Amino acid sequence: MSKLWTTFLKDAKLSFNGLYFYIEIGLAFIFVAVMLFVVPENFESGQKINAFVNLDEPIKSQIEEQITSEDDSLLYDSRTALEDSLEKDRSAVGIEIKSNGSGEIIYDFVLQGYENDRIKSLLKSTVEGEFLSSIPGFESSVSYDVLEPDSQRLTDRANILPIYLTINVGLMGLFIIAAYIFLDKDEGVIKAYAVAPVKIWQYLAAKMLIMLLMGLITSIIPVLMLAGTDVNFLLLIVMVSSFNLFGSALGLFVSSFFDSMVKAMGGLYAAVMLMVLPSLSYFAPSFNPAWIKVFPSYPMMFAFRELLLKNGDTGYIWMQTVLFLILALLVFFAANLRFKKTLTV
Amino acid sequence: MINVNGLYHAYEKGGPFAVKNAAFKVEKGEIFGFLGPSGAGKSTTQGILTGLLPLQKGEVTVAGCDMKKPKREIFNKIGVSFEQSNVYGKLTARENLNFYSKLFDVNTVDAGTLLKLVGLDHVADKKAGEFSKGMKHRLTFVRSMLNKPELWFLDEPTTGLDPAIASQIKDIIKEENNKGTTVFLTTHNMFVADELCDRVAFIIDGEIKLIDSPRNLKLKYGEKMVSVEHNEDGKLVKEQLSLIIKEDQDRLKTIISRGNIEIMHTKEATLEEIFIKVTGRGLK
Repeated sequence: MSKLWTTFLKDAKLSFNGLYFYIEIGLAFIFVAVMLFVVPENFESGQKINAFVNLDEPIKSQIEEQITSEDDSLLYDSRTALEDSLEKDRSAVGIEIKSNGSGEIIYDFVLQGYENDRIKSLLKSTVEGEFLSSIPGFESSVSYDVLEPDSQRLTDRANILPIYLTINVGLMGLFIIAAYIFLDKDEGVIKAYAVAPVKIWQYLAAKMLIMLLMGLITSIIPVLMLAGTDVNFLLLIVMVSSFNLFGSALGLFVSSFFDSMVKAMGGLYAAVMLMVLPSLSYFAPSFNPAWIKVFPSYPMMFAFRELLLKNGDTGYIWMQTVLFLILALLVFFAANLRFKKTLTV
Repeated sequence: MINVNGLYHAYEKGGPFAVKNAAFKVEKGEIFGFLGPSGAGKSTTQGILTGLLPLQKGEVTVAGCDMKKPKREIFNKIGVSFEQSNVYGKLTARENLNFYSKLFDVNTVDAGTLLKLVGLDHVADKKAGEFSKGMKHRLTFVRSMLNKPELWFLDEPTTGLDPAIASQIKDIIKEENNKGTTVFLTTHNMFVADELCDRVAFIIDGEIKLIDSPRNLKLKYGEKMVSVEHNEDGKLVKEQLSLIIKEDQDRLKTIISRGNIEIMHTKEATLEEIFIKVTGRGLK
C-alpha cells in the first residue's frame, strides 16, 4: 500500500503543479456563479399580457382589478394604445375584453404573429380561467385529489445539480483519466515506472484516487453553495466516491484498447454521449423507455436527486452506491488485466 | 545473468519478426554490447529482457527470473536507462529520484549523491522540464542506478551528450562494472562499444550475426598493417606497411633503425568496419 500512496502523492504533486486541477475547480465555481446569478430559482412560464377592458361598469372594474393583480399584466384605455404597446414589446400579447351587445363577453386576442396553435389555445384557456373566476357569481367546480401528500420537488436551480454531478463525477473521469494515462505514455514515464518493482494496479489505482480527489472537491463546492448545508454530506461523499470510481474504472477500461488519446477519443466520446442520454428522462419524465435505464448515468442522476430532496429515498441511494462500487471493482479488475498486456507496448 | 534461446518477436500477429531466433548468454560481471543499426531489433530485445514487451516465443531468463511470467521483484535487481529521456518534467530532479527510490524494496542510493555523480547537483531542485536534453538524459541515466542494480540495461547511454559528459558516463559504467555490475549495453556507437564491452553481438534485421569480444574480432577481421610517418632527406613520408609481407617487414626495420619516425601506429580494423564486413550494412 505504501507504493500506492507514494504514487498517489506523486500524481497529486503533478496535478497541483499543472493547470488542469485549477481549471476543474475554476469550472465548478463558474457553474455555481451561473446557477446563482443567471439561472433563476424557478423558471417562470407566465406570459406578459397587455389588456384593454372595453366594458361597462361595474364588471369593467372587477375585471381590471383582476388583471392588475397579475405581475405581468398592464392595462390600456383604448384599442390603439393596446396595439402600440404590443409593437413596443414583441414578447407580450394583447387582449381586448368587450361585450357583443347582448350581455355576452368577448375575448379578442391581439397576437404578434409568431404564436403557434398550441400557444393560442393555452392563452385562451388560461385567460378564460383567470377572468371567469373574477366574474360575479362564478363558482369553481374544480376539486383536487392529491396522490402523494408528502411529495416534494426541487427548485429548478437545484434540479440541475444532479445532472452536473453525474457529468462531473461519473463522466468527466472517463476522459480525464484516459488523458492522464496517454500523457504518461507520450512522455515515456510509464516505461520508467514499469521497470520498478511496483504493480500495474498500483499505478492505475493512484490515477483513480486523483480523479476521486478532484471529483469530491468539484462536487462538494457546488452542492454546498447551491443546496446549502441541509444535504447529507457524508452520504454525498460516499456516493461521489462510488460513482467516480466507476467512471474512472470505465475510462481506464476503454482506454486500454487504444494506444493514443486520438485513437481513444472516438470510443470515449461515444461512451460519454450515451451516458448523457438519461438526462432526457430526467428533464422529461414522460420519456422513460426501459432501455434508457440501462445506462449507468440514469440511476446516478436519480440517486443524486434523492440525496438533494429533504426526505429522499436513502435506501435507493445506498443500493446504487453499493452497486456502482461493485461494478467499479469489476471494471477495474478487467482494466488491470488489459493494461498488464498493453500499458508499455 | 541473461540466457536467451530461440527468441522471436513480432509486433503484429502474423506480421514480420522484429527479432528472429535470437540466442545469447550474458555472464555475470561482463559488459555485453548489443550492436546494430536503427530498426535492427536491439530495443525490441531489450524490451523483452526488461519485461516491457511480452515474451511471445523462446526462452528468456534474466537474473534468474523466467521472463514468461516475470515477477515484479526482479526490478529490485535490475536498472534500466532509456535512450529517450523519460522523467517527470513537473518534478524537480531530486523529486524524480526520491519518488522512484521509494518504489524499491532494497536500499537505494541517495538522490544527492547520484546527481553529484553526473554534475546535476547544482540543479537538484530545479524542475526537470526546464532541463536541456543532455541534462534530462543524465537524470534518466542516474535514475537507473538508484537500486544499485546487479544487472544494468543501458540503451544508447552516451547519445546526444557532449564528449566530456559522454566520457564521464563511460567512466561511471566502467566503475560500476568493476564493482561487479553486469551491463547490457545497446548502442549503434561502435566506439563506445569498443571502449566498454567485453563481448559484442551484431544484430541486423532481427538476427544475431556474430558474438565475440572486440579484440577477437579485430584480430580476425583486421588487417595486419602499420602506418608510419617519417623524415627522409628532409621530407615527410607516409607509408602503409604489411606486417606479414617480407619486403614490408624489412622496410619497417630500416625505418625504425634510422630513428626518424614521427608517427607510427597499427592499422587495426574498427568495430564499424568489421560490422560492415560481416553484415554488409552500415550502422546508420
